[in-house]
Amino acid sequence: MSLGLSRFLWTRPVWVWPCVVAALALLLASPRTFAFSLDDLQKQLSAPAVVTGAFVQEKHLRALPQPLTSQGRFVLARDHGLLWLLRTPLRQDYRITADGIARRDPGGWQTLPSQSAGAQQNRLFFAVLQGDSSGLQRDFDLALSGDAEHWQLRLTPRSLLLKQIFTRIEITGGRFVERIVLAETQGDSTVLLMQDSSGATALSDSERSDFAD
Amino acid sequence: MPTERLLPRLFLALLLAVLTLAAWQWQRGAPLSSDLMTLVPGATQDPLVQRAEQRMQEPLNRQILVLVGHADRQQALALAEHLAGQWQASGLFEKVQWSLQTDLQAVRAQLLQSRLAMLSASDRKQLTEQPDAFIEQRLQSLVDPFAGFSLVSSQDDWLGLSARIQASQPKPANVQLDIASGALVAEADGKHWVLLRARTLGNAFDLNLPLQVADLLAQGRQQADREGARLLAASGLLHAAAGQRQASREITWVGGGATVGILLLLLLAFRRWRALLAFLPVAIGMLFGSVACVALFGQMHVMTLVLGASLIGVAVDYPLHYLSKSWSLRPWHSWTALRLTLPGMTLSLATSCIGYLALAFTPFPALTQIAAFSAAGLLGAYLSAVCLLPALLQHMDLRPSAWPLHVAQALTDLRERLLRKVPGVVLLGLLLVFCVAGLWQLQSRNDIRQWISAPPQLLEHAQTVARITGYQPTSQFFLVRADDQNQLLDRLQTLDGKLDELVDLGKLKGYLSLGQLVTSAAGQRQVQHALLQLPAHWQPLLALGVPEHALQAELSQLQALAPLSIDDVLQGPLGEAWRPLWLGQDGHGVAAIVSLQGQADVALLRLQAQDLPGVQLIDRLGELNQLFTATQVSAAELKLLSCALILVVLMLPFGPRSALRIVALPLLAALCSLASLGWLGQPLTLFSLFGLLLVTAIGVDYAILMHERVGGSAVSLLGTLLAALTTWLSFGLLALSSTPAVSNFGLAVSLGLVFSFLLAPWAGASDGGHRQP
Repeated sequence: MSLGLSRFLWTRPVWVWPCVVAALALLLASPRTFAFSLDDLQKQLSAPAVVTGAFVQEKHLRALPQPLTSQGRFVLARDHGLLWLLRTPLRQDYRITADGIARRDPGGWQTLPSQSAGAQQNRLFFAVLQGDSSGLQRDFDLALSGDAEHWQLRLTPRSLLLKQIFTRIEITGGRFVERIVLAETQGDSTVLLMQDSSGATALSDSERSDFAD
Repeated sequence: MPTERLLPRLFLALLLAVLTLAAWQWQRGAPLSSDLMTLVPGATQDPLVQRAEQRMQEPLNRQILVLVGHADRQQALALAEHLAGQWQASGLFEKVQWSLQTDLQAVRAQLLQSRLAMLSASDRKQLTEQPDAFIEQRLQSLVDPFAGFSLVSSQDDWLGLSARIQASQPKPANVQLDIASGALVAEADGKHWVLLRARTLGNAFDLNLPLQVADLLAQGRQQADREGARLLAASGLLHAAAGQRQASREITWVGGGATVGILLLLLLAFRRWRALLAFLPVAIGMLFGSVACVALFGQMHVMTLVLGASLIGVAVDYPLHYLSKSWSLRPWHSWTALRLTLPGMTLSLATSCIGYLALAFTPFPALTQIAAFSAAGLLGAYLSAVCLLPALLQHMDLRPSAWPLHVAQALTDLRERLLRKVPGVVLLGLLLVFCVAGLWQLQSRNDIRQWISAPPQLLEHAQTVARITGYQPTSQFFLVRADDQNQLLDRLQTLDGKLDELVDLGKLKGYLSLGQLVTSAAGQRQVQHALLQLPAHWQPLLALGVPEHALQAELSQLQALAPLSIDDVLQGPLGEAWRPLWLGQDGHGVAAIVSLQGQADVALLRLQAQDLPGVQLIDRLGELNQLFTATQVSAAELKLLSCALILVVLMLPFGPRSALRIVALPLLAALCSLASLGWLGQPLTLFSLFGLLLVTAIGVDYAILMHERVGGSAVSLLGTLLAALTTWLSFGLLALSSTPAVSNFGLAVSLGLVFSFLLAPWAGASDGGHRQP
């Protein structure tokens, strides 16, 4: 039986962004003792049950002077999951829940076949949502710096495999997460700017129905 | 007397020579084999098919697949890592792998280089027929954060060909990659199962290797038990180990049981320690048999040894021939007794050898080996009984117990009383009714699985491993031939299409074909051609911010890409899984294997491949089972032929009438034992038939003894009884074997011997009124 590694590193839904999302979620959960600790950060970020805002995703490629940009809105619900509503350059809705990653087409939410590492990352994501950071700490070294107004969390991959793909993930923010940078080993990077975030105590009706079906 | 001094010396010289040969044969270790495939006929003479079969067999015989299961993922991973380290240190394995640490740079390079050659059929189709949709999908994957992570940077792959190739790699059904450790993990039955693969250094049929691997696995299992984990394993090696253990156990039972029984019988009957020397021809027979077997075949299969152990009971008959004369010959003298019984013994050797050698003409190497072993063994036993033993038994004052003779006399009287009350014709009629009714119930069954008696636990584990990993190799495969690589890839693509239909219908689990990996040179040119139309459709990419010059540059780079051959693609890390499928070039062209996953209906596979040029379905097990059935017919013919031959041999001393009678009795005995199999509800297999072939040869022996009546009918019956008891002891023990084939053989022979003994008295010339069919 020959199983090449590359057969597992296929695409959908791959784990880099779920990792990032998991890291976000970690902030809601993991208690640590720094000057400004993960514990503090968790308290700060977990106050609202729902965070909504706009995002801009920039793909910086070495060969391009300008990044490739896409925009949309997001809804991160502590008890449900994540809605990712891409608006330009094309409209596409995504949803990450305990059931996996789904994409909306005219017929409703279609759960993408959860293969390979994807399912595992979803599980990781929800483990972290529930306050279990052990999975993430196994894969990454975590370093938090700054204070409540301006903090930075740096995730450095531990495993050889991950190191061949990206060098680090940096998350910065204040009251909410503001910026996530994913630096790839080959020199490209992806920046996720989360703007105009606001907290809410509950989902709106339309958001609730998005999570419901 | 000069011959009485000369013979032992000559024989001792021969024995010394054989011993020297044996020592030379064994100096490089035991020339034993447990490879089942050496026992079945080579179904084909086609060297390419043979090479393909070897290629498919090889991983089964050298790989071991282990699943380490624990409810806790980390514990399962830790145990797998520990086990892998232990196994690597054992020195038995070439490679032990529990975690994948591939060089991704090499994968990236291959993905870039093979953008034309490895693009999947459906992607090629979309590129050619729906360029707008092709661009749309690329745009989506560039901005979709969940669409995936591509190994090749977007700026080197604007059109997304590498990303599509990466995405279209076949995915193992149930196993996932644990990204932190690089381990492959499956989830089932509430446990995390970490996959561990090992490849042995030596062949699975090295005698010690399977046992060592099985021991290592047992140690690992103990450790797993202590930690609350489960270890499942699947490998041809484990079957080989179980087979070897079982064979050595059975050789001990059959050989040991027969030896002890025969020695006891000798002591009880002859009441002299020296009579135990009668066992010497048995030992010498075994020696001659194994030396001849290794000399002829280079090695000896363990199954030959198990069946050969039953020869003990036949070989001891030669000394019994003249020892039993001690009841009538007073005083008993070894050389005199020998001279009296020599013609009978020689005839018996001739007929037994004819019976055994008939086995040699079946197309089964297994039986050829057994035949050679037995014929040489019998010759050795005969020679030692004739040349050496009388010298050793000289001056022995043999006074056998009287009771065996009383028993024989009582049996003879019983038979005479019976015959006075019931005429022989009626008895024969009853016997024939018994036979017809038994034959009516007889069912024939042949399957290669009768040759194997794998412990149920081993099978259960292998099935569980297949279920959990979704990896189910089968012995069936397709062989595809063509004149050149282009034609081969075209043919593979056609076959792949047919197999896809079966997969969609759920009739086939999956398959692996070079057609999934590589596009023909013509196909690569078509991709290049289709790419040229993209500038008319790539506006959405420009809108996103991809510079047009970058797209143009990539396009001209793709146009300049050299076409890749099968070898080129297989060299890269992505080709690893397909490498065994490529048989390469030979004098007639090129060829490749298409391997299948999961059991499929052979008729359906054959139907799908019908009329496809160059495509051949190889189904070795199916062919073997057919061959078994076909061989049954030829075995029956052989049996008749061997009887005819024995008849000719017997006509010389006894004349045609008596010879016919002597041959007819064992045939009737064989018929009776066939009928008994029917009455017992036991199937008729190729092996029971071969057993009956043997019965004819041995039964003739008893008939000769009874016909000659040296020393009166009671003494002759006693000689026959002793011979039958010893033979029956060894073959009867075979019937207890857990290998269905061996036990079937033992049962058929034991039954045949009982009937041969019961019918033997009718060989006497004085029962003139009673004719046999």
